[in-house]
Amino acid sequence: PQAPAAPTAAPAAAAGAATFVGSDVCASCHDQAAEHLAKTPHGKAAFAHLSTNGCETCHGPGSAHVANPDDKALQPRIDRLTPPEQSKICVTCHSGSEQFFWRGSRHETRGLSCITCHSVHSFKSERAQLKTATAMEQCFTCHKDTRAETWKNSHHPIREGKISCADCHNPHGTQTAKMIRGASVNEQCYTCHTEKRGPFLWEHAPVRESCLNCHTPHGSNHLKLQKTSVPYLCQQCHSNTRHPGTLYDGSTLADQARASNRIFNRACLDCHSAIHGSNHPSSPYLAH
Amino acid sequence: PASGQAPADPNAAPAAPAAPEAAAMPAKKEAPAPAAGGQSFSFRLDPLVIGVLDTHVDTRSAKFEEYRDVSSGFVLPYFHLAGESADGNRTLDLNAHDVRRTDARYTLDYAVAGKYELYFDYNKIPHRFGNDGHMLWTRTGDGTLEIADPTQAQIQGALAAQFAKNPAGINFSFLNGLLAPYLATARAINLGLERDRSDTRLDLGKMGPLALSIEYTHENRRGNRPFGASFGFSNATEVPEPIDYNTDGAQLAGEWRGPRGGLQVGYRYSKFANNISTLIWDNPFRATDSTDPNAYTAPGAGSINGASRGFADLAASNRANMAFANGQAKLPGGWWVNGSALYDQMKQSDPLLPYTLNTAIVGIAGNGAKFDPTNPANLPARSFDGKVGITSLTGNAGNRFGAFDLTFRYRYYDYNDKSPRLEFPGYVRFQSVWENIARISVPYSYSRQNAGAELGWQVHPTTRLALALDNESWNREFREVKKTDENVWKLSADTRPNQRFTVRGSYEHGDRTIGAYNTAAQGASFVEPEAITNLPDLRKFDEAARTYNSWKLQAQVFATDEINLSLGTTGRKDDYTKSLFGLKSDDVKAYNAEISYTPGANRDFFLFGERMDRRSLQNARQSGATPSTNPLDNWAADLKEITDTWGLGWTEKFAKAWTLDLTGNLSRSDGQARFPRPLGANPPGVGFDNYEDIKLLALLGKLDYAVTPATTVGLFYRYEKYTIDSFILQGLQNYLPGALLLNANNGNYKGSIYGLTMKHVF
Repeated sequence: PQAPAAPTAAPAAAAGAATFVGSDVCASCHDQAAEHLAKTPHGKAAFAHLSTNGCETCHGPGSAHVANPDDKALQPRIDRLTPPEQSKICVTCHSGSEQFFWRGSRHETRGLSCITCHSVHSFKSERAQLKTATAMEQCFTCHKDTRAETWKNSHHPIREGKISCADCHNPHGTQTAKMIRGASVNEQCYTCHTEKRGPFLWEHAPVRESCLNCHTPHGSNHLKLQKTSVPYLCQQCHSNTRHPGTLYDGSTLADQARASNRIFNRACLDCHSAIHGSNHPSSPYLAH
Repeated sequence: PASGQAPADPNAAPAAPAAPEAAAMPAKKEAPAPAAGGQSFSFRLDPLVIGVLDTHVDTRSAKFEEYRDVSSGFVLPYFHLAGESADGNRTLDLNAHDVRRTDARYTLDYAVAGKYELYFDYNKIPHRFGNDGHMLWTRTGDGTLEIADPTQAQIQGALAAQFAKNPAGINFSFLNGLLAPYLATARAINLGLERDRSDTRLDLGKMGPLALSIEYTHENRRGNRPFGASFGFSNATEVPEPIDYNTDGAQLAGEWRGPRGGLQVGYRYSKFANNISTLIWDNPFRATDSTDPNAYTAPGAGSINGASRGFADLAASNRANMAFANGQAKLPGGWWVNGSALYDQMKQSDPLLPYTLNTAIVGIAGNGAKFDPTNPANLPARSFDGKVGITSLTGNAGNRFGAFDLTFRYRYYDYNDKSPRLEFPGYVRFQSVWENIARISVPYSYSRQNAGAELGWQVHPTTRLALALDNESWNREFREVKKTDENVWKLSADTRPNQRFTVRGSYEHGDRTIGAYNTAAQGASFVEPEAITNLPDLRKFDEAARTYNSWKLQAQVFATDEINLSLGTTGRKDDYTKSLFGLKSDDVKAYNAEISYTPGANRDFFLFGERMDRRSLQNARQSGATPSTNPLDNWAADLKEITDTWGLGWTEKFAKAWTLDLTGNLSRSDGQARFPRPLGANPPGVGFDNYEDIKLLALLGKLDYAVTPATTVGLFYRYEKYTIDSFILQGLQNYLPGALLLNANNGNYKGSIYGLTMKHVF
């Protein structure tokens, strides 16, 4: 089942009634681009299996441009098309797999196109032909607040290059909010944190509903990507009698006479270490 | 520069000769037939980078190498081996980063054009938590941490003697003196783990109308991490939790693509196995098992009893099976529709541990009969046999009507915990005391529905406005609020009035209403009705009435062909005005600016800065044995954080062969905690100014010289300075009131890395 995926779309504005001239003609002027492209997937045999039109597969028939190369209106430049027109060319082939839900995705509806992030001729990344060296850098060109967050003290190893934005998000679109790959936030987190998947004998209900109730995934000034530091994070819900509702303030820090093991080191988690759920019959309070 | 220099929206860039999308490729008129010599492979190494690192750091802080390996020595930071058959039909790419280091990564991609592609990825991810911690325990088995019996006996004996003489004398000073000689000779331990992950995927028929993929993933996690292993209120011991996990995953998926739609179906399996499922650790203060009603407060004036060994159930092994289907179609009349369906079943059937290892404790059944709680045969079940079913259905559809577009969205997500409700006649509190309070497990379940519509208006070919309304409703079982309902209005605008100017903005307003708040919901895990212990007027924020407003605005200006300016702000404020106690508000605002200057191929400069300002407010009330009704017991936590982040990059190519690359990053957080209390409350709340004050400065300078077009030699220097002043970590020692800690070093450091590299293309 290897039939070509009919990649015959072309930038219509420039194409008009033009005809195909062949890539050799293109390369006679655009020799540098041709040389570079030959090293890329679009210059390989795999591409030739999908299309027989070479450069004109994407750029459209070039006869009008060849006949009048100085006429800017006839130059088949994809970067001058509207974003939907640009993407339409790419999705002629790239409509499955990662791009399956591009139509209707947040990036599509907000006016981005494939070449917002990717470059066929001048990419810098090891994979996916991105305009920057890494997926992280590409995402940060727009998501600047996220870039700042990754520099916070507690962070996933994104800036260290060990995981990528695309490990959790599919920028081409998914059926879930924030374009996460999992069916829910928790199911996304469980792909790496499988030990928290459970189910457990003793559950912590907000944990099951969303990891984001307590954690912020892109970076935090507090331990373990906590939104607010323990013990105050726990006390946002637990103001019970005795120790949960007690004020742990500056007078109870470790170097004070009234030091409390409920505020220093890992605060509540010094005892309630099974906060994500426990399988121990004696742990209804998630202590072990 | 390492990051940040790329235009925010390259669509907005003026036509740049450097990125000729109108370029060309050599002609391939037909799919190539196998040529003579088509089986032979040619390789190129493009590039190979080798080098030497010389690393100096002034402390043993684990933070310096938290997720990386920059130790001194020979390095092979990167190589890329590219191979291709003579006919171009087969390609091979091998990429290797940080070869043989603890943070190495290797990827291999082998493809046969039009037939299949085989991809393999191996990724080592270190995660270091602390160095040079100290502990009294010796690891004697996979999950066993022991203290020498004579040591335990001596400490217990000294405690018993003091308790007989004067129980009130068992205070921090006494206990500290008791442990000090042993801590002086305690063994050192580094805390950290490593993930070794692999991903193998075979794609058949990729890009064709029918495609099939088979994927297998495997991860080993080995090491340890700090674990709160408590014996009670006055004896929170921190031990290294041994980590020995295996996670295996497999997926089989197929895809069909046609001219008017497509379909994906697949099955995924995931298995998590914890090879050390139980942790047993010795109590430093007890050599023999004992119990009394106050033993959970030992050691102290009230008791010196408790278990000689603690007993924790580490992460339970589990498995998941998932089937999914995705579809998309173009319908008549210009409509498009996307949909997906998924069913995920998660199971966990680890054997249950007995209530305790403390042989002095006697269990009491519901009928009053006594039993041995150390015998798992006396549990109501020998394994939990937990099972959850998740059903997810999503769909969206849209169409365009002239200048308008309309999209509908719907999502149903059901988390159905089908686990049995196991009833226990009581439990052992902190390994020390049988509590005759019958408990029952609670399988929390919920379903969530989202429905919404968005109307877009293409005001101008370059400008789109959109208005959306989404409704999110939750139905929960066993929680305080059964049903919540939230309406969210969203207005967004994207405009690119000319090639030099782009603005994207959105504003969102959400309003969540809730049904009755059942303060007795905590009773679901009690067999007999239990007195309410949480404040009746507290509202847990995730199910409380709420309004929120959020915005995002990002503007980008290509002032000239060389200068790009970007300004942005984001913010969100959540208000819980109907909650008297609990989270009251959470307010985050961020402002960023960036300028980049690229006058040509030889110079590139950018400067980025962001300030993030966060403030949250929560109310609480201190209580004794019953919830207080006295307003003078109130307190609040007013928590503020300001985080500044700066980034700087400068690349300069000069004298034909030289390249200078400078990068700098600074992240600085400054937090404050204040605890306002009502007038007359005693004592007043004492705030602190180190609600996580952290500073990280990272500077990198690289100088490369191109000896030949194929060979470059380079020098680099990286400097980092990290300081942390955190209330939660300040003044930590191995022994503090009520806590025996590992106290591993994860703090300040200054580090320098000197490097010499050579890059060559073969």
